[in-house]
Amino acid sequence: MDKRWPALFKIQTSIPQSITRQELRLAKRDWLNLPAIAIREVTKIYPSGVEALRGVSLDCRASEVTALLGRSGCGKTTLLNLCGAMDFPTAGEVLIDGQATAKLDDSGLTRLRRTKIGFVFQFFQLLPSLTALENVELPLLLAGAGKTEATAMERLRWVGLEDKATALPFQLSGGQMQRVAIARALVHDPAVLIADEPTGNLDNASGEIILKLIRRAADELGAAVMIATHSAEAAAIADVRVRMGDGRIESVS
Amino acid sequence: MKLFHRLILRPLRRDRTRTILTLLSIALGVAVVIAIELSGDAATGSFESSLTTLVGKVDYEITANGGVDETYIAKLAALPVNARFSPVIEQPVVVAGGITRGASTTLYGIDLISTPAENAGDFDPEQLESTAVLSSDLAGRLGLGKGATIQLKGRDQTAAFTIRAIAANQNTEWIGVDIAAAQRLLDMYGKLDRIEVFLSPHENAPAVENRIRATVPATWDVQTPGARSEENRRMLRAFRWNLRILSYISLLVGAFLIYNTIAVSVVRRRTEIGILRALGTSSRGVLAVFLGEATMLGLIGSALGIVLGRLLAAALIGMISDTVNALFTTSAPGTIALSPVSILGALLTGTAVAFFSALIPAREAARVAPAEAMRRAIVEHETRLHARRDLGIAGIAAAIAAILCRFGPIGGRPVAGYIATLFAVAATALVAPAFVVGVVHALRGTLKRFAGVEGFIAARSLVASLSRTSIVVTALATAISMMISVGVMVGSFRETVEVWLASELRADIFMRAEGAATAGIYPPIAAAVPQIVEQTPGVGEVDLFHAFEIRYQGTRTTLGAGNMDIARRRRSLRFLSGSADNILTSLPGRDRAIVTEPFADKHHVHTGDVLKIPLGPRTVALTVAGIYYDYSSDRGLVLVDRSTLLKYLPNQAVTNIAVYTRPGADAAKVRRELEARLAAYPLMIAPNAVLRRGAVEVFDRTFAVTYALEAVAIVVAMLGAANSLLALVLDRRREIGLIRYLGAAAGQVRRMILVEAGLLGFLAGSLGLVLGMALSLVLIYVVNKQSFGWTIQFHPPVELLGGALLLVWIVTILAGVYPARFAAKLEPAEAVHEE
Repeated sequence: MDKRWPALFKIQTSIPQSITRQELRLAKRDWLNLPAIAIREVTKIYPSGVEALRGVSLDCRASEVTALLGRSGCGKTTLLNLCGAMDFPTAGEVLIDGQATAKLDDSGLTRLRRTKIGFVFQFFQLLPSLTALENVELPLLLAGAGKTEATAMERLRWVGLEDKATALPFQLSGGQMQRVAIARALVHDPAVLIADEPTGNLDNASGEIILKLIRRAADELGAAVMIATHSAEAAAIADVRVRMGDGRIESVS
Repeated sequence: MKLFHRLILRPLRRDRTRTILTLLSIALGVAVVIAIELSGDAATGSFESSLTTLVGKVDYEITANGGVDETYIAKLAALPVNARFSPVIEQPVVVAGGITRGASTTLYGIDLISTPAENAGDFDPEQLESTAVLSSDLAGRLGLGKGATIQLKGRDQTAAFTIRAIAANQNTEWIGVDIAAAQRLLDMYGKLDRIEVFLSPHENAPAVENRIRATVPATWDVQTPGARSEENRRMLRAFRWNLRILSYISLLVGAFLIYNTIAVSVVRRRTEIGILRALGTSSRGVLAVFLGEATMLGLIGSALGIVLGRLLAAALIGMISDTVNALFTTSAPGTIALSPVSILGALLTGTAVAFFSALIPAREAARVAPAEAMRRAIVEHETRLHARRDLGIAGIAAAIAAILCRFGPIGGRPVAGYIATLFAVAATALVAPAFVVGVVHALRGTLKRFAGVEGFIAARSLVASLSRTSIVVTALATAISMMISVGVMVGSFRETVEVWLASELRADIFMRAEGAATAGIYPPIAAAVPQIVEQTPGVGEVDLFHAFEIRYQGTRTTLGAGNMDIARRRRSLRFLSGSADNILTSLPGRDRAIVTEPFADKHHVHTGDVLKIPLGPRTVALTVAGIYYDYSSDRGLVLVDRSTLLKYLPNQAVTNIAVYTRPGADAAKVRRELEARLAAYPLMIAPNAVLRRGAVEVFDRTFAVTYALEAVAIVVAMLGAANSLLALVLDRRREIGLIRYLGAAAGQVRRMILVEAGLLGFLAGSLGLVLGMALSLVLIYVVNKQSFGWTIQFHPPVELLGGALLLVWIVTILAGVYPARFAAKLEPAEAVHEE
C-alpha cells in the first residue's frame, strides 16, 4: 500500500484545476486499483464478549453501491460503524480512501469523517433546532470550510428541496427529512457514503425517491456507497450485494 | 411501586451526579431557611436576664427612664406584702490587668446577701465587697477558677474581686458582684438600673402589682420580665422577617431547579411514558410517579438540609448576634435548639416546595399521548410562539408589582413589598423565553464570528430547548438578582451612611467610656472628665453628649442630649423639612426636641406634635421641632438640648464627648495630651477618621449575614447551572453523538457546551441585573423604609456589582466544565443509535 502513495501524490499534485473529485476518484479506482473502502480480515469483539464480525474482507469502490443484506444482528451495523470511522476493529484493518483507521487517534478519525465520509440514518437524525439549510451546512461549519451557505444551498437544490431551506425538521415530511439528511451527508463531497436502513422508516414512494438519490450520489458524485438494508428495492439499486450472517460474509453477488 | 422503581429510582441512580446536584440544591435551600430560623431564635431568644439562674425567677421588674432611685427599695420593702425586692445594676464592664485585660462583659450588681445559697453559694458577709460570681462561660473564656482574682475597670477606678463561685451551666458571659461594690465601681451611688420583685408562693400577684404601682412614681414602669423579652422580640421582628424572606429566596431558586429536574426527567422518559400509556397505565398513574420523584427528592434533600442548616446556624449565630447588639439591644446568643417542630417544618417546607415545583412538568408527563413523534420540538416551537403572549402577562405582573409598592405596611411589615417581589420574579420568569430568543437572535452573528460553529450550535440549542433554557435562566437570574438587589441596597445604604457620618461626625476627637455599647448607647463617663478635657491645651469647643435608654409608648428608644448651639454651627444635620438653623436655634432652654426619621416613622410623629416622656419622677412634654435623617439605630432617637435634659435629670452622666480643637492646633497632639491627662479613666479616645472607619466597619459586620445568605443562594444557583447543563447534555446526547458523526471533534463538543454555559450565564446575568435593579428599588424604598424607617439614597456600587457579575459569569462557565467533559466523552455510535 505504501508504494502507492508517491504515485497518488503525483496524481493529486498534477491534477489540472478543472478536474472534478469524481474524476479523481475514478482515477484512483481504475489506475491505482484503490478501493474507497478496504476491509481486510476484520474481526470485532465487543467488551461484552459478543463477536459481531469474524474475519470479514470486502472492497467498496468509488461510484459503486454496495448493499449489505442480512437479518438483524448479523453484523451489518457494526461493519457500517467501522467503515464510518466510528469504531475500531479488534483485529484486521479498515482503510478509508487508503487511510487505515486503526492508526488514527480521535482527531485523525474526526478529520477523516469530516472530509471523506457522509452518513445517512434510518431515523433521519436532523438537529431539530436547525433549519433544513443549516442542517446541511453543519458538516462544512464543523470542518471550518468557506462558502458554507452557498455550498449547502447547492446540495439542497441537488435533492430538490431548495424551497424548504428555512423549514425546521418538524415542518417536513419523513421523505423530505431523509432528503435533507442525504444533502447533509453529501455536502462535503465525501468519498464514502454510509447509509443505515435509509428507507426503513419511509413509505414506498418516499423510499423510491431516496434510493434514486443514493444511486445518483454514486453515479454523479463518484461516492462509494455502502448501504445496510432489509429491503429488496434497496438491494436492487446496488452494484454489489453482500449477504451477511452470523458476523461473516455468506455471499457476494 | 414497581413502576416507580423502574421509571424513577433506576434512572436517578444511573444519573448519580445529577441526582446529587439536585439533592444538594434542595438541601442548601432548606439549610439556609433552617439556619436563619435557628440562629435568629438563638440570638433573640436569650433576652431573659441571665440573672434568673442566679437569683431565681423574677416576677416583676421595676424600671424608670434615667434610672431607679435606690431609696424606693426601703419604701417597697415596707409594704405589707409577701415579696422580696432586689436591687439590680446591669452595665457593661471591662476586665483589667493580666492576660484577660480588655475583655468586655456584663456586670450585674445584686444583693448577694439575699441570693439563694443553692444558686451561688454562701458568701462571707465580711468579704462581700470583694466577692465576685462568674458565669461558667466567662470563667471558661478567661481561664479563671474559684479563688482567682479578677480586676474590673470602673468609671474612674479599678477594683479587684475574688471569684468565690462559678455559676454552672451558663451559656452567657457575665460577672456578678454585690450591689454596693457595683455602685462604687461605676460611680452610681444611690442609683439602680432596676428593682426585681420576687413573690412568695400563693401571693396575689395583681394585688402586689397595684401596691407597687401606688408606691413608686407614676412615670416608672412595672412589668413582668416576659414583657421585656416580648418587647425585644417585637423590636427585632422586622429584622428577622427580612432575613427570613431573604432565606426563602434560596428555596425559591431551589424550586426552579426541582422544576427543571423533573422536566428533564419527563423529557428523557417520554418514550417510556408513551409505552407505559400504551400498555394501559392511567395518566393519573404517570402523574403520581413523577410527583413521587419530586417528593422523594424533596424529602431526602430536606433531611440533608436540616443537618446542614444546624451546622450553618452555628456559623451564623455570631453574625446575627453582632447585628442585634450593634443595632438593637444587648443580647447574648443562647443555645441553638433544633426542636421536633422545626424539623417537621423544614421537612414539610422542602417537600412541599419540591412537590409544587414538579406539578407542571408532572402534568405534562401525564398528558403524553401513547404515540407521538417529534412532540418535543413542537412543544418548544409552541413555547416560542407563546413568548409574545407571555411577554404581555409579564407586563401585567410587573404593573401589579409596581402598584403593590405603593401600599403601606401591614402590621408594621412591608407585606405588599414582599408580594411585589414575588410578582417581579414571576414577571421575569414570563419574560425569560422572549428574552432568550431576542438576545440569542441579536447575538447570533457575533457568536458565529467569535465562537465559530460551536457558538452557532450552542445558540441554536439553547433556543431549541427554550422552555428549559428559560427555567434555568430564570433560576440563575433570580439568584443573581438577589445578589444585585441586596448589593445595591447595602451599597446605597453604606454610601448614605458614609455621607451622613461625614456630616454628622465633624469633631476632631471623640471620647467614650470603655465597655460594650448597643444601639448608640455607651457606658457613662466619670464626672470629672469633662472639666479635664476643657482645660487641655489646644481644645476649642467641647460637646458633651448624654444618651440613655428610655421607654416611650411601650417601646424602648434612646434619649440624647447635646449642645444644640454647637450642633447648629459645627454639624450639618439634614431635616426632612424646615431649616436646620431655625430648628436648632429653637431648642436650647426650651422643652423642644428633634427626633430621628425612624422614631417619627415608628410612632407616627410629625413636626409640632408633643411627646410626653417620663423623665425621673416627672413626665415632660416635648414639642417636636423637626425630624432629621439619622442612621445610628432603628430604635429611633429623641434629641434635646443639654440644658433641657439637665433641668429634669441633673445627675445624668455624660456618655460621649466630642472635642473640636482650636484653629491651628494639631489634633494628634491634642489627642495625645488628652490621653496622658485622662490615663486614670477607662476611656476610648479616637480621632475622627478612626471613628468613621469604625462606624463603617460596624455597618459592614451588620450586613455580613446578608452577604453570607447571598453567597449560599449563588452556590445553589451554580449547582443548578451545573445540573441544568448536565441535563441539557443528557437530553441532547443523540444530537451530540450526531454532531460527532458529522465531523465534530471532541474539543468542539466541549467548547460548544462551554459556550452554552457562557451564554446561559450571560442571559441570566443580564436578566438578573434588570430584575435586581428593580428589586433594589423595592428593597430601598418599600421594604427597608417600611421595616426600619430609613431613607436611603440610591447609590449602586457599580464596580462591586460589575465584579460580582463577572465572577458569577466565570463560575457559570466553570459549572459547564464537567458537563462539557461528559459530552465530549459520549460514545457517538451509542448515542445516535439509542432510540
